[in-house]
Amino acid sequence: MALFSPSLPTLSPFFSPKPHPSQKSLLLHYPFKKNLSLILPGAAENGAGMVGSVAVEEKLDKKEEASDLEKKEDSLGLNGSATAAAPKFEDPRWIGGTWDLKQFVKDGETNWDAVIDAEVRRRKWLEENPEASSNNEPVVFDTSIIPWWAWTRRFHLPEAELLNGRAAMIGFFMAYLVDSLTGVGLVDQMGNFFCKTLLFIAVAGVLLIRKNEDLETLKKLLEETTFYDKQWQATWQDDASSSPRKG
Amino acid sequence: MASSLFIAARFSSDLKPFVGLRQIPPEKHTPLSKSLPTPQIHRRFRISASKSRPKLSGRNLRVAVVGGGPAGGAAAETLAKGGIETFLIERKLDNCKPCGGAIPLCMVGEFDLPLDIIDRRVTKMKMISPSNVAVDIGQTLKPNEYIGMVRREVLDAYLRDRASASGASVINGLFLRMDLPQDPTAPYVLHYNSYDGKTGGVGEKLTLEVDAVIGADGANSRVAKNIGAGEYDYAIAFQERIKIPDEKMVYYENLAEMYVGDDVSPDFYGWVFPKCDHVAVGTGTVTHKGEIKKFQLATRLRAKEKISGGKIIRVEAHPIPEHPRPRRLAGRVALVGDAAGYVTKCSGEGIYFAAKSGRMCAEAIVEGSEKGKRMVEEDDLRKYLEIWDKTYWPTYKVLDVLQKVFYRSNPAREAFVEMCADEYVQKMTFDSYLYKRVVPGNPLDDLKLAVNTIGSLVRANALRREMDKINI
Repeated sequence: MALFSPSLPTLSPFFSPKPHPSQKSLLLHYPFKKNLSLILPGAAENGAGMVGSVAVEEKLDKKEEASDLEKKEDSLGLNGSATAAAPKFEDPRWIGGTWDLKQFVKDGETNWDAVIDAEVRRRKWLEENPEASSNNEPVVFDTSIIPWWAWTRRFHLPEAELLNGRAAMIGFFMAYLVDSLTGVGLVDQMGNFFCKTLLFIAVAGVLLIRKNEDLETLKKLLEETTFYDKQWQATWQDDASSSPRKG
Repeated sequence: MASSLFIAARFSSDLKPFVGLRQIPPEKHTPLSKSLPTPQIHRRFRISASKSRPKLSGRNLRVAVVGGGPAGGAAAETLAKGGIETFLIERKLDNCKPCGGAIPLCMVGEFDLPLDIIDRRVTKMKMISPSNVAVDIGQTLKPNEYIGMVRREVLDAYLRDRASASGASVINGLFLRMDLPQDPTAPYVLHYNSYDGKTGGVGEKLTLEVDAVIGADGANSRVAKNIGAGEYDYAIAFQERIKIPDEKMVYYENLAEMYVGDDVSPDFYGWVFPKCDHVAVGTGTVTHKGEIKKFQLATRLRAKEKISGGKIIRVEAHPIPEHPRPRRLAGRVALVGDAAGYVTKCSGEGIYFAAKSGRMCAEAIVEGSEKGKRMVEEDDLRKYLEIWDKTYWPTYKVLDVLQKVFYRSNPAREAFVEMCADEYVQKMTFDSYLYKRVVPGNPLDDLKLAVNTIGSLVRANALRREMDKINI
C-alpha cells in the first residue's frame, strides 16, 4: 500500500546522514548540494526506500553557515511498500481494543492467569513488530482490571517463598554459628543491639541483592540520583578557580 | 511542580533543599562588604553596595546580546527598557528554527504575546504506549487553557522587533569571537561579520566594544566556547514536516500526539505536533544518535494511518541540551537559554525557559548597573543565576526524576501511559506545565497516586519478565 504519494518518480536517490559522532567538522548541508553516503540501513523495513536528506550537525566549525540544519525538500515522500506490511496482532479474544473477559472464563470464573498470558503475548508481539496506532480501533486495555490478588498470587508469592526460604536458612545457620561460638542462645541474641543490626543487614541484603549484578545496579542507581544535581551545581563550584576580577 | 510529581521523587530520590546545593553554608554570606576582593576563595554571593562600582561618565552601559531567538529578544527588550545601550546580533533574521514550537500559557501573559502569533491551540494530547494503548489527556483543561503552537520565525521576529522598538540596535551579523578584557573596566571586543545591507557573500568584518555580553546563541553557542563554558550532553531531535490531506488534518486540529516506546526512542519520545497547516513528525535521542533515522521511521510507522497520503515538505534536525553547561557565567558574560542548557528533561521544553532566562539576566544587569549608570561586575550577573536556580530547580529536578523513572524501559513507559489516564495526574501535569508553578495537591490524592504509580510499575515489570520467558 502506498503510504505517501510521491510526486516525483521513485527514482529519487537515497540519502542518509553521515554517522555523526566521530567527525568534528561535520559536513554542512547546503541546499544546492546533495550528499550521497551510506544507504540508509533502516530502508529494509518494507523493502522500500526512505528519502530524507539530513546531516546532523552538532559542532560549529569555521564555516559561516548554520548551526542548525535545514533542508528544503520539495515533495519527497515515503515510497509505498512493495511487500506486505508486518502482520498485525490478531487474537480471537482481543475485541475492540481490549481483552474480552467473557472468553477467559474457566469453571465459572475468569481465568486471570490466562488474561495475563494473553497480554504478555500481545506485548511481546508488538515489541517485535510495532504497529501503527489506529483511531478506528483504539487500544484501551488497562492492566488494572486484573485484580491485585491475581498479580500477587502469580508474581509475588513465588518470589516471597524464595526469599523467605533463603532468609530462614541463613537465619538458622547464623543463629547456630553464633551460639556455638559465643554460647549465647537465640533469645539472648535477639536482645543484643549488635545482633539486631546484623539481622537488619541480613534482611536488607536478601531483599535487595539477589544476584551479583545487583550490587553494581544499586551503586549506579545511587550515583544516578545525584548526577543531575551535580550538573546544575557545576557553575557554583567553579567560582573558586576564577577570581572575581577576571575579565 | 505538581506535588504528585514530588511523590514520584520521594521514593526514588530525596529532594535536597536548595541551600544544600551551594558550596558554602549561608552563614558565610556577608550582606555588605568592601569592594576590594579578599583573598579567601570562599567569599561568594556578596551583595556589594553599588558604590563600589565605577560610575560610567558620559555614556550608558553597553551590552551585546549574541543571538536573536526568544532568549536574545527577551533579554534585549528588558535591557533596552532599562536604559542600557543594547546591541542584538543575529545572523539570520528570517531563520526558520527547527523546533517543536510549543509554548505554555503563562508565556503569553508574561511576555505580552499577541494572540495572533499562536497558530494553534492544543487542548488535547494523546499518549500512546509501546503496545499502542492510547490515552487522551486534556479533559481537565478549562476552556481558556491551551498549549500554544507557534512558528519560531514569527515568534522570534516579534520579540526582536519589540526589542528594537524599545531602543535596542538589531545587527544582522554573525558573531565570530570576542576578546576578553584584561581589567574590570575594559570592554569586551566582539568580532562579527556584518550582513547589514549586503545581499550575499561573506559580509564585512566589524568589531563592537561592549561592557557585558549575554550569550543567547543557542545550543552550539560560540560565546560559550569563547568563555570556556564547557560541554554538555545533548539529544538530537529530528523532525519531518509533513503536509497531510485536509481530512486527516482535522484530527490534528488541536491535538498533539506523543509516542513512547523503544522502537520510537530509547530515551525520549516521538511526536506529532500540529503546525500552521501541516504536522511535524519527529523523535529524538541522546544515547543512540546514530540510529535516529530508524527511530524516525518507527515514529512514522506508528502514526501511519493518521499521516498517510502526506508529503514531506521539510526535514530538520537540531541538538537539544540535556543539562546546563558546567559554567554559565564568566566575568561579565552570562549564558541564557539553550546556550546555557536550560532545556527540561522529559518534555524537552526550552522556549519559555530561554525567554525567561534572557529576561532575568537582563533584569540582573539593569539592577546591578542602576539602569545603565554604573559598570557591572560578575557578581551582578551571578545574582541572575542564583534567582534562576532557586526558582526553577524544583521544576527541572522533578522532570529529571520523571524521565529517569518513566523513560527507562518499555514497562516503565506502559506504566507512564497508564498513569496519564488518571484525572488527578492530568490536572497536576497541566497546572505545572501551563503556569510553571508548584501547586501543593491534596495529600490523600497524592498518596493514592503514589500507590497507583507503584502498582502500575510493578504490573508492567511483571509482564515484562514474563515476556522475556516466552518466544513468539
